[in-house]
Amino acid sequence: MRRWTAAAALLAAAAAPLPAQQMRDFSTSRQHHGESRLSTRLEFAAGTLRLLPGPEGELYRMRLRYDPERFTPVSRFEPVSGVVRLGVEGTGKSGLRVSSRSQLEQAATITLSPAVTLSLDLALGATEADIELGGLRLAAFRLETGASRSVVRFSEPNAVRCSSAVIESGAAEIALVGLGNSRCEQISFEGGVGKAVLDLGGTWSADARLSVTMAIGELTLRLPTETGIRIVMERFLTSFPARGWTREGNTYLSPGYARAARHVDVALASTMGGVRVEWIR
Amino acid sequence: MRTPSGRIAARLGLLAALVAGTVQPALAASPEGGTNAAVEAARDFWELIQQIRGEGADTTRAGRGPAVRPQAVPAAGPEGPVIDLSDLSHPLTIEEQLARFAGTPDNELRLSVPGGAARLGAFSIGSEQTLQGNLLIMKGDAEVFGRLDGNLVTFDGDVVVHPGGVVSGDVLAVHGTIRATGGEIGGESRELRESVAAALPPEPPLSALQVTIRRLAGVVGVFFALAALGYGLVAFGRHNLQVVSDTASHSFGRAFVTGLVGQILILPTFGMLVVGLVLSVAGILLLPFAVVVYALLVIVGVVGGYLAVAHAMGETYTRRRLAQGVLVGAPNSYGFLFTGLAATVALWVAWALFGWVPIAGELIRGAAVLVTWLLATAGLGAAMLSRAGVRENFAGRIIPPEALTDEYLWATPQFGVPAVKRPGAGTRSTGPGV
Repeated sequence: MRRWTAAAALLAAAAAPLPAQQMRDFSTSRQHHGESRLSTRLEFAAGTLRLLPGPEGELYRMRLRYDPERFTPVSRFEPVSGVVRLGVEGTGKSGLRVSSRSQLEQAATITLSPAVTLSLDLALGATEADIELGGLRLAAFRLETGASRSVVRFSEPNAVRCSSAVIESGAAEIALVGLGNSRCEQISFEGGVGKAVLDLGGTWSADARLSVTMAIGELTLRLPTETGIRIVMERFLTSFPARGWTREGNTYLSPGYARAARHVDVALASTMGGVRVEWIR
Repeated sequence: MRTPSGRIAARLGLLAALVAGTVQPALAASPEGGTNAAVEAARDFWELIQQIRGEGADTTRAGRGPAVRPQAVPAAGPEGPVIDLSDLSHPLTIEEQLARFAGTPDNELRLSVPGGAARLGAFSIGSEQTLQGNLLIMKGDAEVFGRLDGNLVTFDGDVVVHPGGVVSGDVLAVHGTIRATGGEIGGESRELRESVAAALPPEPPLSALQVTIRRLAGVVGVFFALAALGYGLVAFGRHNLQVVSDTASHSFGRAFVTGLVGQILILPTFGMLVVGLVLSVAGILLLPFAVVVYALLVIVGVVGGYLAVAHAMGETYTRRRLAQGVLVGAPNSYGFLFTGLAATVALWVAWALFGWVPIAGELIRGAAVLVTWLLATAGLGAAMLSRAGVRENFAGRIIPPEALTDEYLWATPQFGVPAVKRPGAGTRSTGPGV
């Protein structure tokens, strides 16, 4: 009996505890030293992302909690070109695949200076993103998302004119809110599978063009009543509530289009799904 | 029971011992001895008092061990370790390099920083001071009141750039924080904290008894879950269960091979199903349902087949006992299933009890896995062969015509077939020996 007890005790002593899940905290920032432009490239494979305007005295700041088993933080600034790369990149051991829950617990908060003219290029993977671009000086914007859930907001008017906004969404749920405040001349949205909400609210300072392509899924257009909307539609197995619109072939004009001070031309192509329209004041 | 005065005396004794323990190494390690040692001892004593009072002179350094005596780190020889601080964009690499030196005794540390210097312990740059080159601070905080023309790195220490202080390059705090309270940092500020989970206390390991109890509870739980499923199956699908069970009994080899092939084809079939549905425009809408139904079919096939095999095992065992004249409590499908399940989990119980035994435990586990897989495979095959208990071809229930002799029919009642209409019953002359 004593031998058994001793053996059991020995075994218990030799048993190693289970390895605890480890996450690491990393932060990076740069003071604003009179730079006028900043080109930001952000890659974030998995987790939760918040992006918002920060204090003027700080060019950028990233607070990151990441999974060190598979990812490594990225913060590289090139002073000559004014390009900063932020986010996380795969360690190369297992690629960028998302295979553990811990990767989804990664979190990043990024702030950008509202005092510099920004060119923003975001590539998001399995991410839940909340992106507030209102109040920034955004000259160009590009967003690529994978299997993500993203909200992009322009709560305040863009301080500068934006040449283009390109959004490419995979199997995702995405909402672009307040596009009128973006002051982008050309907005392009390409959706794969999922749900998309395009809110054209905000203050349109000029006429704009919007190109929307949706493969499979539901597209909701939130349209301001005071803005003239013209939709040129190509659709296949897609429903569209045409009631109240003036139709000319595959072109639909919103009520009061001719009288509106600002016009937005929408080129819409949808393969399968439905287009919903919500009017906002 | 101690009196209050005794308690105070004990605390003072402990304090004295602590002070002695703190002061002695400082005295021993100090090459200057005398004055410096006395100053260090006084400082340590003061810090100790503050820690006891819960105030802490340097709260940022809490939990990083005792303060290190500030000193310059001598440069290593030509073959010695070198830390290049000119590029701080890969903080993990720098952390890895510095971590190697963290365990080195302070008086043995030798380190070369190209174009710069390394220091141990807290360090400050005075407001009138300008330092050139990259600076490394190990196990201490860096306070910048003056100017540093270069990069600044701390390991196990914080960086504070005070108003008027300037660091022209990048700043990296490994296991520390950076505060630029009005100071200027020309480059990038990076903080790399320790692993979050590292700060948590490790979970205590389970004892062998706890492991055994946990495993036993798992096995018993699985047994009751399967028993509940099996009883539901007997109650609502007894005929199908019996047909699958008979198929497993009468055509075990065939059922096993079928199950094996079925396992191999599960994924290709699923792939073909998905591709077929995606290619057809209308079928794509059915894809989510098809995926769920397919998964359910596989689960039902494997679990149902496994239960049918358990039923077959229980039935065989019970019939043998009955043939020996033993009075069996419940010679029905419920009893068969319970007996069979008990037999199938017997190996798992053995593993739960003796799994902690080196080598033997692994062997028992391997045997249990193998036997379970074997039975599940045969069960899946039997379910496939009998079309989930609909077809009786392999269940030994269809009697070949050549077996339908008069003796068989006379001895065996044929339900639904009147005796006068049994084959050969009306033609006496055809019967042998008549």
